[in-house]
Amino acid sequence: MSQEVAEAPEATPTDEPILSVENLRTVYHTARGTVRAVDGISFDIQPGETVGIVGESGSGKSVTARSIMGLVDSPGEVLPESSIRFKGRDLTEIGEDEYRDIRGSGIGMVFQDPQTSLNPVFTVGNQIMESLEVNRGLTGQEAREEAIDLLEAVSIPDAARRLGEYPHEFSGGMRQRAVIAMMLACDPELLICDEPTTALDVTIQAQILELLQDLQAERGLSLLFITHDMGVIAEITDRVNVMYAGEIVEKAPVEELFASPQHPYTNGLLEAIPGEHAGRDRLRTIEGEVATPMEEATYCRFAPRCPKAFEDCESVHPSLVDAGGGADGPHEAACLLFPESMPESERIEHHRSRGGDSTEQWGEDE
Amino acid sequence: MCASSTTTATADRARQSESTLASRLLANPTPALKWAAVFAALLAVEFGAFLAGSAVVLNSINMGITALLDMLLSTVDPGFAGPVLDLQGFVAGNLEGLRQFGESLPTLLSRDVIPNQGWQTGPTGPWEGTFLGLQPAYAWAVRTLMIVAYTIVMAYWLFRAWLVFRKHYRAADWTPRDDIVDRLRGHRWAEFGIVVLLLFLTMALFAPALGTASVDQNVMNSYSYDIKYFDQEAGEVATINAGKANFNSKSKGAGEENVAPMTYDDFGRFHPFGTNKPGRDLFTILMHGARNALIVAAMGIGLAATIATILALISAFYGGTIDLVILTTADGVMSIPQLLLLILATSLFNGHWLDKILDGGFLIGVVFALSGWPFLWRAIRGPAFQTAQEEWIDAAKSYGQKPRNIMQKHILPYVTGYMLIYASMSFGSVVILLAALSFLNVGINPPTPSWGRMVAQGQPYVSTPSWHISMIPGLLIVFVVTGLNALGDGIRDAIDPESEAGRESEAATGGGA
Repeated sequence: MSQEVAEAPEATPTDEPILSVENLRTVYHTARGTVRAVDGISFDIQPGETVGIVGESGSGKSVTARSIMGLVDSPGEVLPESSIRFKGRDLTEIGEDEYRDIRGSGIGMVFQDPQTSLNPVFTVGNQIMESLEVNRGLTGQEAREEAIDLLEAVSIPDAARRLGEYPHEFSGGMRQRAVIAMMLACDPELLICDEPTTALDVTIQAQILELLQDLQAERGLSLLFITHDMGVIAEITDRVNVMYAGEIVEKAPVEELFASPQHPYTNGLLEAIPGEHAGRDRLRTIEGEVATPMEEATYCRFAPRCPKAFEDCESVHPSLVDAGGGADGPHEAACLLFPESMPESERIEHHRSRGGDSTEQWGEDE
Repeated sequence: MCASSTTTATADRARQSESTLASRLLANPTPALKWAAVFAALLAVEFGAFLAGSAVVLNSINMGITALLDMLLSTVDPGFAGPVLDLQGFVAGNLEGLRQFGESLPTLLSRDVIPNQGWQTGPTGPWEGTFLGLQPAYAWAVRTLMIVAYTIVMAYWLFRAWLVFRKHYRAADWTPRDDIVDRLRGHRWAEFGIVVLLLFLTMALFAPALGTASVDQNVMNSYSYDIKYFDQEAGEVATINAGKANFNSKSKGAGEENVAPMTYDDFGRFHPFGTNKPGRDLFTILMHGARNALIVAAMGIGLAATIATILALISAFYGGTIDLVILTTADGVMSIPQLLLLILATSLFNGHWLDKILDGGFLIGVVFALSGWPFLWRAIRGPAFQTAQEEWIDAAKSYGQKPRNIMQKHILPYVTGYMLIYASMSFGSVVILLAALSFLNVGINPPTPSWGRMVAQGQPYVSTPSWHISMIPGLLIVFVVTGLNALGDGIRDAIDPESEAGRESEAATGGGA
């Protein structure tokens, strides 16, 4: 299944991306200073494609999703130089009312915790029908029929009866299916899944992933899949963005990434998968924690934890450069060790000159 | 997909819309009809009183809305005041007609059916004019007990409506509300509160029938009524003006000038709570005082709770600057001493037509609401914020639901419970506030009965035989306020499943989760 989907974007490579995020910067103004939760990331999603964002807790994945949905509340702010283009329309420039039209029928979102993304005081059917009413104007019997079809589409047995039940009567996996049905009720073109399987056990995880893949094939959905689980990424995505401290440090087609991870951070993440290195006494980890990015990036944010860090990592900000792309698409990494074709001094100069641009942009703010 | 025809048929039936309440009622009408028959009978015996009562309530609403409209419109153009007042007068006239019609209908529990006023035909002779020739005290007691019994039965019957609905007509077997009601039923302190609230409502709603005399005869126009009594000195039945009789039944502390609780005055009139300083029946006054307090407190709290809820939802949903603006406004309003503001408003509007609505009660209610909402707002802002952080709010936003609907559907249900608790607790404080204002002689305009004024009036006689003038209304205030607080506590415990009272049932249902 994932194989077929993976080929879809290649068949039409010239298509305009359904979502194009460019230089997205989301900051939070806190008492201790400005936290750059998302610091200048760019990526595209082609129609029918599944793009993954992977990273540790606190790396800015969920903020990225919320920024795209326009759900960044005060004290957060999406900085004006950011651009989020959905089907050619820049979402950072439209008003709240227009945004509301895009939410749901344009972009839907499935949240992490199925325990809390359904309102416990209403029946599941009530909530799916609410979504149908808002987005498609269906009410009454018509909405009910459609809601039953949707519950059946997400493989909930005995859908008609289940419609009248409350969320607490559903198991965790069922609830996540119901949430997905609620989002499908909007008939979105792009579905953002923010860690939809994190709260579920492994077998249910697999079922939900399979369901999402089936739905994608049936409805031609584009998916933005956010997770910290490398296994899930391998299972479902076509292309992967690895995030660290608000920046994308590596982007590559999924098979390429697993076959030859280039950035030391990606290496560390892959090493830290339990079971990959059976027989060792201890699981390998990346020492330390994700830094909270408060100041502008004039250095490599991963350097303090990086096993391959050298002197220049402290003073030069790496930007995404070619790291040996294959036939599936470009493979880029933001690390001073790349591009490997250049000698070290030339590489550093290359990064310094490219990083200089972003420093200048930031100069005015400080 | 490839199911047999029978299962397809079942599925088709299940796909039909969920059965509506009407269809469920039609399918099994017996329990509903039984309930309705008893309810109709209960309603019928007091239909006139209900009609008159509804007319009074509707008229208060009419007065309130038109007064607000008038205030708002006259800021635009004073010329609007005329038409608004005309409208107010037109509606009020019709409602007054309805009220009079309602009062003209015979009701079971009224002074006409069970009269307690009469006269003795000789020194020890039988009573005439009273119910079955009983002594006035017994006639009054019979009527009072019947009224209390009636309200208890009526309250139970209304509660039973919910029980019948739950058992026979509700689609869901269980909802969280069932647990709340169960916890409330097992809560002794809340039950005390409910009983007090019921008694208070009885006093307020049945004030005209409870009093030993009508308020018109007792307070307002006593000199236009004549009463018959047995004159001990002359040894015959004589007639006297009610106002004069009151004048000779004063309670002013001295042994001769005192009509104590549960005694007769010289004119054969029974006074359950004695008489007050001008010789009026204290019980009648206190019953009508309860009615006035209820109307004003309900209006004030209702208005304040509405403002507070709307603002709390807006605060929680939008947060940030909007919340800050509301917060600053609320702090500003809270910094004004409420009692002083009320005194200021009542003296400022003294003689203004606004001060005439509900004998000044309307003005007090509105000022209370405008100065009291921040307290309620503060209390539910926290829970509202907590709910606004829930993921289902984000989910609703992410399928494009409108802010108003999100607030209404996804936040409001979670703050209503808190609002109930705080509103029922503030209810007590409004009763106290009203009494305090009347005590200071700036509250509800005299001679309209009020509890606080009686406390003030009896103050000089606390240490004399006429102690009852202050003591009884004072105790009533304490009793009602304690009861309302108890009810608030009870609702809080009932709503919170982790409270002490809920422990047992939680453990019992835990296994099924």
